[in-house]
Amino acid sequence: MSKIQLTLENSLNDLKDGDGRISLTTQAALLMFLITLTLTSASIQKFLATNLDQMLGADLVVETHAPLADTQEATLRAMADGVSVTGLSGITLTHGDAWARVQLKSVDDHYPLEGTLKIADSPGALERSADRGPKGGEIWLGARLATKLQARVGDTLTIADTPLKVSAILLHEPDRLMEGHNVDLRAMVHSGSLRAEMATRGKDRTRYLISGTPTALANVEEWVGETLPAASIVKKQGGRHPLASFWQRTENFLGLASVILFFLGAVALDMTNRRWLAKMRYRLAVYSSFGTPLGTGIAMAMGGWLISFLMAAAVATALAALAHGAIVAKLQAVFPGARANWDALAILKTTGLLLMLLMALQLPSILKLARSSLLSLIRHTGEGHYVWARLAAGLLAVSLLAAAYSDNWLLTGMTLAAMGVALVLMIVLTWATVRLGDLWGRRRAGLLPFAFFIMRQRLFAKSAQVMGLGLSGLLLLFTLMLMRDLGAMMEGYSRTHDGNLMISEAQESHVAALVTWADENGAKVLTLRPFVYAKLLTVNGVRLQDYMQKPSDSMTTLQEPVRLTWTDEMPQNNRLAGGTFWQADDTAWQQISLEQEVMTDMNFSYGDTLTYQIGDRQYDFTLVASHVFRAGRGSITFWFQMPATARAHIDAPTRYMGSMELPDAAWDKLAALWQQNPTLALAPLRELTERFDQILAIVTQVTSGYAGMILLLALFVLAASVSGFRADDRQKNGLLMSMGLKDRDCLWLNFHDWAVTALIAAVGAVGGTWAAGLMIYEAQFGMTYRPDLMWVAGTVVLMVASVCVVGYFACRQSLKVSVRDLLGG
Amino acid sequence: MKTAIELENIRHEFDTDKECIRLFDNLSLSIGKGQSLAIVGPSGAGKSSLLSIAAGLEAPTGGMVRFFVRGEEVDARTLRAHSGFIFQQFHLMPELDAIGNLALPLRLKGRRDAFDQAAAWLDKVGLKDRARHRPHQLSGGEQQRIALARAFISRPDFIFADEPTGNLDVRTSEGVTSLMFDCARETGCGLVIVTHSSRLAAQADERLHLEAGKLEMAA
Repeated sequence: MSKIQLTLENSLNDLKDGDGRISLTTQAALLMFLITLTLTSASIQKFLATNLDQMLGADLVVETHAPLADTQEATLRAMADGVSVTGLSGITLTHGDAWARVQLKSVDDHYPLEGTLKIADSPGALERSADRGPKGGEIWLGARLATKLQARVGDTLTIADTPLKVSAILLHEPDRLMEGHNVDLRAMVHSGSLRAEMATRGKDRTRYLISGTPTALANVEEWVGETLPAASIVKKQGGRHPLASFWQRTENFLGLASVILFFLGAVALDMTNRRWLAKMRYRLAVYSSFGTPLGTGIAMAMGGWLISFLMAAAVATALAALAHGAIVAKLQAVFPGARANWDALAILKTTGLLLMLLMALQLPSILKLARSSLLSLIRHTGEGHYVWARLAAGLLAVSLLAAAYSDNWLLTGMTLAAMGVALVLMIVLTWATVRLGDLWGRRRAGLLPFAFFIMRQRLFAKSAQVMGLGLSGLLLLFTLMLMRDLGAMMEGYSRTHDGNLMISEAQESHVAALVTWADENGAKVLTLRPFVYAKLLTVNGVRLQDYMQKPSDSMTTLQEPVRLTWTDEMPQNNRLAGGTFWQADDTAWQQISLEQEVMTDMNFSYGDTLTYQIGDRQYDFTLVASHVFRAGRGSITFWFQMPATARAHIDAPTRYMGSMELPDAAWDKLAALWQQNPTLALAPLRELTERFDQILAIVTQVTSGYAGMILLLALFVLAASVSGFRADDRQKNGLLMSMGLKDRDCLWLNFHDWAVTALIAAVGAVGGTWAAGLMIYEAQFGMTYRPDLMWVAGTVVLMVASVCVVGYFACRQSLKVSVRDLLGG
Repeated sequence: MKTAIELENIRHEFDTDKECIRLFDNLSLSIGKGQSLAIVGPSGAGKSSLLSIAAGLEAPTGGMVRFFVRGEEVDARTLRAHSGFIFQQFHLMPELDAIGNLALPLRLKGRRDAFDQAAAWLDKVGLKDRARHRPHQLSGGEQQRIALARAFISRPDFIFADEPTGNLDVRTSEGVTSLMFDCARETGCGLVIVTHSSRLAAQADERLHLEAGKLEMAA
């Protein structure tokens, strides 16, 4: 009992010094991050699993951008047990002077095939289930939409002169999963309520909800693959649903974050471990001087360490519970209805995993403890070198973490490879610099040669310090760089728009009405560019789904029809990035120019054949040029452009995209324009900015939280580095002062020491960051890596300066003690 | 019941980069419980090595070392469980106060009366009023008196002292020396001391001089 009590006392005593506190805080921070990540992930997975039945509304859904031909639909119905057809189009709904852009779903009498609809009489009222959608002449409004339009059950809305009575507030659709993380305002009508001309083609979607036996579903899948190349399939089984890929991408990023954070933590812990080990070896040697067996001493040391870990776990679990609740509350914007579930088993597993990882990190120290001896107290022997064992243990622990947390081995491998590059660079640089510096300084006088001499004597300790600082620098730099570039990519979406109203889609029939309305209301149409919807089917004959497997924003967008415009000359807001743009009189019409970033992201080459489905036909184009956006000359730009002569060969309705400038008085008149032309898509700039700000706010919050964690751990590393080597520095300073050197000389000498350390670490960090950027940017995040040399140089200077300043203050602090105390350590 | 350490024809040497240095050869010695022995000699003669071998901390390069506790021959580990050490640098636990340091050996042996015993020993070494002081708040002599009491508190069969007064002034040394011999006599343990101090050595029952590999009785 007294041994357990003594272990507890030792553990509490150990927390009174700097190393103990840094170690405990680092463990708590790591554990908090991992538990939060586990709980959040478990909550989302549980949400996805339990909501799948209620989110697909069928066994299988076939989605097309144009209704099937009658014969095709008949074939489909013959194969399936049940089929329900729904249509989805973006329109503007008005009520009084209020208006809102909505996704209008038209459903038939069979909808939904599985699951139930949830409706209510008002947004806040008690929900009730419904087996079928609205009847003819009725409309159901989403709760947010009803609030925005200030519409109630019993009110009447008009769509293209057709009056529709609001008969319910729509709370949940069983095929909600099909919308992915789309949070557009929603409404539902019976398909019989809409006039035939309302059914627009192009960006609109038609979905066939299908139920049937597994064999029937397999037959449907095969038939769709052969007959409808532009259609996409979503299944209940096999994880082929939009949210799965969205969440996988998020988990990729978080998996990488875990590895990076753990590595930073491992570096900090490794540095404090050096002092912990010295302390434990001393304690064990003293214990054995009054007959305590070494095994008992080691068990007590490990017990003390375990107690400290359990304290960290208790603090971390409490903090993680708070963080998890806050994060799930934020994620409810993306996963409506997700709840923060408390999963004790997951917490235990995570804590157990981290305990094992930390034990792996601790292994070299434990082995070293087994060699503690009373002799060291008599002969004052040093601790010896065990840098390589520590390095191997660190790598083992990180690999175990990667195995447990990341299912993306490529990403993990790349991160580890980048760290490997940095480590090798730093080891080579440290050894070369210190040895060459020592060689150079042998016949020279002064503080710098002496600094090199001291560093050479402490080469192993110095290497550990450099590697620790360098790795944390690498991880910090890489994370900040990645976040800066992701932020810049997001900013890129907010390119300056000319005008205050964007015409996001107008049909040919809308243009005259738009111009007339603009004339009547003092508004001005600034730009109007034509386009057709085109769905990219194959690349050099290879189906797009098979062409590329890595996650990519471009790929996700190309799964849907995109806008294809035509022009005879390079638009003013574009410039040629590569290849050859066609001339006005060029007769070869099957040429195409592509935005450069998309081209790089998709790994296309000039000369590739891109096959598109446009209208009912397929067209081949040869990729001949690439273009980039040029700011300041209009915001309307297109990914794909073809020669103007191509338009005559293509059978598809022309649509327009452009911008308008509205005087203040005209905004209230917009409702009338929309009432007459409900499919006209206009997006006020105010609304765009608002949407963008909402997305940016979520991204910023997530990345800021993550950057905060990284910075916190980087600070721990710096603190551990200074604290871990403080005793050595005090002894060295004491020795130098006893030989007559002044405080100023000691400070200057330390400055040299820290500057060389920081410089090598910074070069290693930059090298590793460069390697990580080259490998990870393109492959995992679909971004082009373009390092900004000024930014890199700035961060190196900042890093070296921070380390030197911290080292300087630590040295000044140690010099305040007398020479005798310094020599005493 | 025999409790003793017997060194028979032992040899000890160590290798450097260039040569093999022999400290001593063919050296025999017997140390019994209740006996005090001082080993003197110049620096580098191998006194500390001889102490380490006698304490079972390291094995000699050649020869035989035998340990007997209460009539039974035991291994080095068992001997260490019945031994205590006093060091030149005191080696108190910096995070523990005086009474905590003193109680430590008994607490590690699971004794419930550890703090009572520690308080009695503190009184015995004249530091009762320093019970709550940490090592850095004590003088060198006071620290060594605590270290000394800590070595004796569990009543070991042997105490090994490596330059126990090497860090102390003459007056303090005398106080510590007489305290050490008083404690040894009171507990009846065997005391092996390595020292440069002839005053200290003179107090021992037996004095051996180690120089150039030869161990001789000192005057």
